[in-house]
Amino acid sequence: MTPIRLATAGLVLLSAPALGQQQVPAWAQGRPDHMAQSTLAPHPPRMTVTAPGDVPMNRLRVPQGFRVELWAHGMPGARMMALGDQGTVFVGTRVIGRVYAVTDQGGSRSHRILAEGLTQPNGIAFKDGALTVMAINQVLRWEGIEGRLANPGTPADLTAAFDMPPDQHHGWKFTAFGPDGRLYTNIGVPCNICTFDRDRFALIVSFRPDGSDRRIEARGIRNSVGFDWHPVTRELWATNNGRDWAGNDEPHDTLHRIRRSGEDHGFPWCVGMWADPAMERRQCSEFEQPAASLGPHTAPLGMRFYTGTMFPEAYRGAMFIARRGSWNREAKIGYDVVVAKLDAQGNVTSVEPFLTGLLDEQAQQFHGRPVDVLQLRDGSLLVSDEQNGAIYRVTYGG
Amino acid sequence: MRGIRSGAAALAAALFCAPLAAAPEQAELCAACHGARGVSALEDVPSLAGQPETFLTLQMILFRERIRRFEPMNAAMRGIGDAEVEALARFYAALPPARPETAPDPERASRGRALSARHRCGVCHLADYAGQAQVPRLSGQREDYLLHAMRDYQAGTRQGTDTSMQAVLYGLSERDLADLAHYLATVPAAR
Ligand code: HEC
Ligand code: HEC
Repeated sequence: MTPIRLATAGLVLLSAPALGQQQVPAWAQGRPDHMAQSTLAPHPPRMTVTAPGDVPMNRLRVPQGFRVELWAHGMPGARMMALGDQGTVFVGTRVIGRVYAVTDQGGSRSHRILAEGLTQPNGIAFKDGALTVMAINQVLRWEGIEGRLANPGTPADLTAAFDMPPDQHHGWKFTAFGPDGRLYTNIGVPCNICTFDRDRFALIVSFRPDGSDRRIEARGIRNSVGFDWHPVTRELWATNNGRDWAGNDEPHDTLHRIRRSGEDHGFPWCVGMWADPAMERRQCSEFEQPAASLGPHTAPLGMRFYTGTMFPEAYRGAMFIARRGSWNREAKIGYDVVVAKLDAQGNVTSVEPFLTGLLDEQAQQFHGRPVDVLQLRDGSLLVSDEQNGAIYRVTYGG
Repeated sequence: MRGIRSGAAALAAALFCAPLAAAPEQAELCAACHGARGVSALEDVPSLAGQPETFLTLQMILFRERIRRFEPMNAAMRGIGDAEVEALARFYAALPPARPETAPDPERASRGRALSARHRCGVCHLADYAGQAQVPRLSGQREDYLLHAMRDYQAGTRQGTDTSMQAVLYGLSERDLADLAHYLATVPAAR
């Protein structure tokens, strides 16, 4: 079948069979005719160093009693973080292709570039002394990494064993080891909205650490770039990015609770009870419902449960969620870290702002883009800011 | 055959040019290929004058990090720090874009214009093709380079900050690309 051209509007793509190659840029697909002239477009990345004096520390706001400091800087594109046994913070990126390692010597941090020239090495996981990096269609592992940060050497190449799809769009990974010792990652859908092989895309999958025994953990999750396990129930919780071009307030980005492996969360037909008008109609009640809305187009990415004791009681067992901020919405939204609290049954009782100030709503300008959160062993919380290549540290009391 | 492979003469010519007031030091090296005022006289070498500053910065970093590959450019960017990259971008962005030198072939230009309208090139590159942020200026660019760049995207050999262009050009024929390049290169740069 000959692919249909852009002129007939993005929606016809839904019937185009080829997934890897589309004629509308994936980020403009699914755009209805009445939005054809919209000039909304993804914000450009920043890939040069932001001087520490230009990191917008004076804009950052945290609740009463908390403090936020500039913990590390000078790492363009800093995104997902993983903590080593000896305290090294490993940091992945997307377009700039680097993996950074941040070390703390007596209260001051320095960083080095561990790897470079990779294709979107966003997935970063640490276990048993080894650093695993997932780039697009590439899985690398450095054993004993903290003993040889200055000279990491050649990693083991596990790419063939994991056998991931090569698609670039939504092909970047979030990666983490679960409490079961398996390695979990997302496989995003290589389009904005389309029909696709539901055993291959819009998944969270897990593997044995060597890449064998692939298992589908969650299905119908469009693109999750952040997840974590509940510290008590060990259930997997994940953020998810909804599709673009369905309007300013639809659909919402979501938080998902995955009670059993393999459950279906509804993409491409439904987000909660919202049925996508571009798709064939389905009963949305047949799918798992999201645990909470995280707002339209907010781009919730990295999230972690708080298991420390530094923060007040009310934050223990809650989830911190970084929202990178919108592009496909006329009024910008997000660009913050929120905290989602649970009751004893694991129902989300509130989603509240935690770290704010990077979005100037009046001027419709953003000054940073939080991507991930990571708890340090002392119970303080790191927040990576991709746009400023910086990592903030939030503490309480003291 | 690409122009810069025989760039010795151009290099010599560039070195004899009067130095520019605001030009960063490194721009002397760049001038050999891209022209002293960012207007290239060499086949397949892009003009840089009047490109959006963000686009220039991002592409230089992509070359330096060897994510976008072209050996002479990778070599030219090696060891150039971020602040210098930004100074170079400011310098070239502020220079006036080139004016088209040749009159368009009316038939090819009108085919190119129709293709551009159908594929909505102006949504991202703007209606006057002056570009914005990470999206490059196309007006005032060399025809041979535009064609070359589109072929690279189609072949998947050029890695950018996103994958828009691979998707945009999917399914276009060689003749489509050539007509688009011809049309865009002969559009007068409005600003
Ligand atoms: C040996 C010749 C040569 C030299 C020297 C050189 N360039 Fe280039 N440059 C090229 C070519 C050829 C390309 C296009 C590469 C391709 O086909 O992808 C290019 C591409 C670029 C681009 C991307 C432009 C676009 O429209 O995509 C930028 C920006 C750039 N060069 C800046 C510089 C700077 C700054 C310097 C000096 C530090 C420099 N170049 C030195 C040959 C050169
Ligand atoms: C969805 C937005 C979008 C649309 C539509 C679009 N472009 Fe682009 N174009 C871009 C972006 C972004 C880049 C830079 C990508 C990169 O980093 O390499 C680019 C780069 C280019 C370049 C490379 C120029 C240079 O200096 O290196 C050419 C040529 C080009 N586009 C031509 C076209 C043509 C012709 C069309 C219509 C058929 C078109 N574009 C439609 C977003 C778009």
